[in-house]
Amino acid sequence: MCLFAVIAAVVFGAMAKEDNRERWLYGLKVFAEFIVIGLALGWLLYFIPW
Amino acid sequence: MVKTERMQADEVEPTPGNAWMIGAVAWFVPGLGHALQKRWIRAALMGGAVWLSFFIGLQMGGHMFDLSASEGSSTLLQVPPMIANIGTGALYIVSWLLGIGFADDPVQAARATYEYGNTFLLIAGLLNYLTMLDAFDIAAGRKP
Repeated sequence: MCLFAVIAAVVFGAMAKEDNRERWLYGLKVFAEFIVIGLALGWLLYFIPW
Repeated sequence: MVKTERMQADEVEPTPGNAWMIGAVAWFVPGLGHALQKRWIRAALMGGAVWLSFFIGLQMGGHMFDLSASEGSSTLLQVPPMIANIGTGALYIVSWLLGIGFADDPVQAARATYEYGNTFLLIAGLLNYLTMLDAFDIAAGRKP
């Protein structure tokens, strides 16, 4: 999941925004979102029995 | 009203012919579209991400889709994931010609990383579509 998040964040970060600082911030934000949402969904599905 | 519309139409610059060429090359070889425009860092990052994702997917035992229907599924269901897989361009075509990653092997499907591999292969293609559009926009002068 981390590897997937890194790969997707690199592409999204490289594509978006105007300057390098904003690209880094956007890439980190995308990475964090993938990880947080992945963990949240993982725990949510853990408690759903079907 | 008509005059305003005509003025707006005049302001739209036509897409340069080489932008389409760059787009096609960017699809066929991930990262090459940016490299041809001397965007080395973008080529390395975006193209590298696609190549890495593709080979990780294969290494994990992932399966790519084509129009041959596997047992219990229809050909139509293969089309959406196949479109995602085709995004990797030459990687998909070469793998298809060599028969790598297309076999319906139950032993491979039983691997714990099989579904992860599928996802990496799908994502590689989808990310390359984004990379291709980025290279096209740069070539068309719509992006710095």
